[in-house]
Amino acid sequence: MNLQKVNRREFLKATGMTAGGLVMGVTVPMSLHAEEGETGFHPKVFIQIAENGDTTLYCGRAEMGQGISTALPAAVADELEADWSRVTVLQGDGDKKYGSQATGGSRSINEFFIPMRTAGAAMREMLIKAASQSWGIPESDCYAELHFVHNKKNKKKLSYGELSSVAAKLPVPTKPALKSKDQFRYIGKPLTRHDQDEVVVGKRTYGIDTKIPGLKYAAITHVPVYGGKLKSVDKTGALKMKGVVDVVEVERIKSPFSSLGGVAVVADNTWTAQQALKKLKIEWDLGEHKGYDSKTYLQDLIKNVESPAEKIFSRGDVDKGLEEAATRHSASYTGGHLSHSPMEPMASLAWVQDDSCEIWASTQNPQQIQQVIAIFLGRKEEDIVVHVTAAGGAFGRKGKCDYVHEAAAISKAVGVPVQLTWSREEDMRTGYYHSINAQHLEAGLDKDGNISAWLQRAAFPSIGSTFNPSLDRANERDFTRPIAHPYGIANYKLESGHAPAHTRIGWYRAVYDIFYGFATNVFTDELAQKAGIDTLTFLRNIYDNNKDPVLAKSASRCRGVLDLAAKKGSWGKKMPKNHGLGIAVHYSYNSYLAMLVHVETKGDDIKVHRVDCAVDCGLVLNPDIATAQMEGAVVMGLSLSLREDVTFRDGAVVNSNYHDYPVLRHNEMPEVHVHFVDNDESPTGLGEPGVPTFAPAFINAIYAASGKRYRSIPIKPMSV
Amino acid sequence: MSKKININGKDVSVDVDENMPLLWFLRDELELTGTKYGCGIAACGACAVHLDGAAIRACVTPVSSVIGKKITTIEGLSEDGSHPLQKAWLANNVPQCGYCQAGQIMGAADFLSKNPKPKEEDIDNVMSAHICRCGTYKRIKKAILEAAADMQEA
Ligand code: FES
Ligand code: FES
Repeated sequence: MNLQKVNRREFLKATGMTAGGLVMGVTVPMSLHAEEGETGFHPKVFIQIAENGDTTLYCGRAEMGQGISTALPAAVADELEADWSRVTVLQGDGDKKYGSQATGGSRSINEFFIPMRTAGAAMREMLIKAASQSWGIPESDCYAELHFVHNKKNKKKLSYGELSSVAAKLPVPTKPALKSKDQFRYIGKPLTRHDQDEVVVGKRTYGIDTKIPGLKYAAITHVPVYGGKLKSVDKTGALKMKGVVDVVEVERIKSPFSSLGGVAVVADNTWTAQQALKKLKIEWDLGEHKGYDSKTYLQDLIKNVESPAEKIFSRGDVDKGLEEAATRHSASYTGGHLSHSPMEPMASLAWVQDDSCEIWASTQNPQQIQQVIAIFLGRKEEDIVVHVTAAGGAFGRKGKCDYVHEAAAISKAVGVPVQLTWSREEDMRTGYYHSINAQHLEAGLDKDGNISAWLQRAAFPSIGSTFNPSLDRANERDFTRPIAHPYGIANYKLESGHAPAHTRIGWYRAVYDIFYGFATNVFTDELAQKAGIDTLTFLRNIYDNNKDPVLAKSASRCRGVLDLAAKKGSWGKKMPKNHGLGIAVHYSYNSYLAMLVHVETKGDDIKVHRVDCAVDCGLVLNPDIATAQMEGAVVMGLSLSLREDVTFRDGAVVNSNYHDYPVLRHNEMPEVHVHFVDNDESPTGLGEPGVPTFAPAFINAIYAASGKRYRSIPIKPMSV
Repeated sequence: MSKKININGKDVSVDVDENMPLLWFLRDELELTGTKYGCGIAACGACAVHLDGAAIRACVTPVSSVIGKKITTIEGLSEDGSHPLQKAWLANNVPQCGYCQAGQIMGAADFLSKNPKPKEEDIDNVMSAHICRCGTYKRIKKAILEAAADMQEA
């Protein structure tokens, strides 16, 4: 049973709110992160219909600009037949009572959709039953519509508010009837978001905006090299400044999500703290990674993938397949480190007192904050209260809360509440970067131009290395996507090259799919040209030839988005000189994406005219939000294809701010058209899957326009 | 005799180090947090406010330079969120995370007041001073065009 009524006491304990009316708790059965040994009923979401009819959803998932806090309430409201204007969403504070709150992997929608609908439907049935009892008529003579139960016979109606307390006494139906697709009122329809009104008047409060009485402000500078530490700091100059409260040394603790180590200044305002930082005379012990140079390292990675490496997966006989091939082709591809660089830099407010610890933060993972700070303070996790605020962008960065550990360490040292704001420069230089990467691909084509063998070697420092620094190459888990790649080639082999990490590696929107999607699709385009076959036909053949029953479904859904993108973007139409179309398909996070990109090249000048995205994410919960996600993915994809490149020299990041880590701006925004496949598959997330298809489609389009084949992104790195 | 800045129609005394950028004076001293910090070097536009109606970057504007002047922040752009740009922003669901949007709106408001009939190209050029990491550029442009049309009618 994943649905239960919640009584007054439990509700108060869980949410700090007073219960009244009907309150339901929902658990998420297929949760990927169910706590070890968790027994009993542990609701992750609460839904309340109060006696005045106000309907509130308490959910723990961090918002992050993905509109999840609209899509899921819409699922509840739809089945409940609630009036959308009466529904509000409250973000839960960080606590296990809301279940795991980590946002990422586009999992939120997958996990919550059916449980949310079921909860709404069950509540609707209870309200109908309550009304039927009060009228003394059968339930079949009643129906629910927009916050009322109506009597079919006499046009009488009772409001949800009036019925809520009576309904609360009824048993929860075990199998409430869900609506069919054509009955949906909110699901799949554009809906106003709950959180926009505040944004346009500057009233939405992000982590960086939190204020509480007695607040002091902190700025920090970090050890420039991963694994280094503070040798000495002369605080005199800083301490002499008017408005400076103290200088605090923050040490690393044993947790991958703790501070990298640094020195912070606490002052009356952020600016004074930033100025005082410059007065510190600091000596660092740079440690073992002080020689890290990302340009040289990338050359090493290329070498490591251009010779045999460690086998991760194989099917059939690749060597034989390659030998017997009518045509062979090979190529290597690379990509650099990326920085998330959300517009809101890392910021958190912490107040550590002897008997309490309260945190306010933009975070994708409040429970991790509890864990890390519990280790740091030597207290129990449940004694750390985390208030989750709106996040000014995250893209994976705010799932790693080193900045919160720092705020707590500083507050503890000075004994007052402290708002720590990283400068943009610190954000740029103290990240958990997307892996620098190299891949080598070799394939054989048979005489009809079908791929008969495919060898793919990848070398990149893995996210696992952030947890276990002794890992010196990616492992099977890091190869999940190529292992299940829908091409399903008969002779297939994956190898992992040596790639020890010299910085912290972290999840970045779409993670490894960025480079897997890139190399695979660009190489496929090259193979099509080798075979002398149009790329669209070549790709269709691949999917159609797939004989692996396990991959059949994903192959056919890939084919579906491929066809849709090709049609909408008019693949095959006659292009003017220096114009070209490129196409790419990628399956990740249970969603299927194809992009068709139209570029025009003039020498080194490249202009993207139009992008057609074809999306199969099952049932589209909110087309407007889904479209916005794709528009955002195109921007990020183009940005990382053109210029984004974090460069390390002497162990430290050289880039410092948006001038030398240029992200895409308005003037380069292409026209984007988003098309959804209409099917009855269950809904899947879209936060990440849009990113990987852009770069390869773009690179293929440049080739079509100019004959120039790029194999490394970004194609226009800035020299820093 | 204390020095004053008129912020959103109210006179505010300045009793801080006058080298302090207006951004931090607004955010930390006045707790007007609608104006955002994004880069601190005039590279992102998140901190855009109006000085006598024209957009400036609060992160590089020392308080000393705006004493006696009129500053408008996003909180003061309209009384009730009814500026045509604010309405157009909502009608087009422009914001994703929303963090950059106050700066975008302040930048666009200044731009529209000087170019009531903007060409798309002009929007691209001017708004390129503002970064949106979530990638809402397409909707921003649409909202500006709609707001411009709306203002023409009025
Ligand atoms: S914070 Fe002022 S322009 Fe970026
Ligand atoms: S909406 Fe997130 S940075 Fe613009």
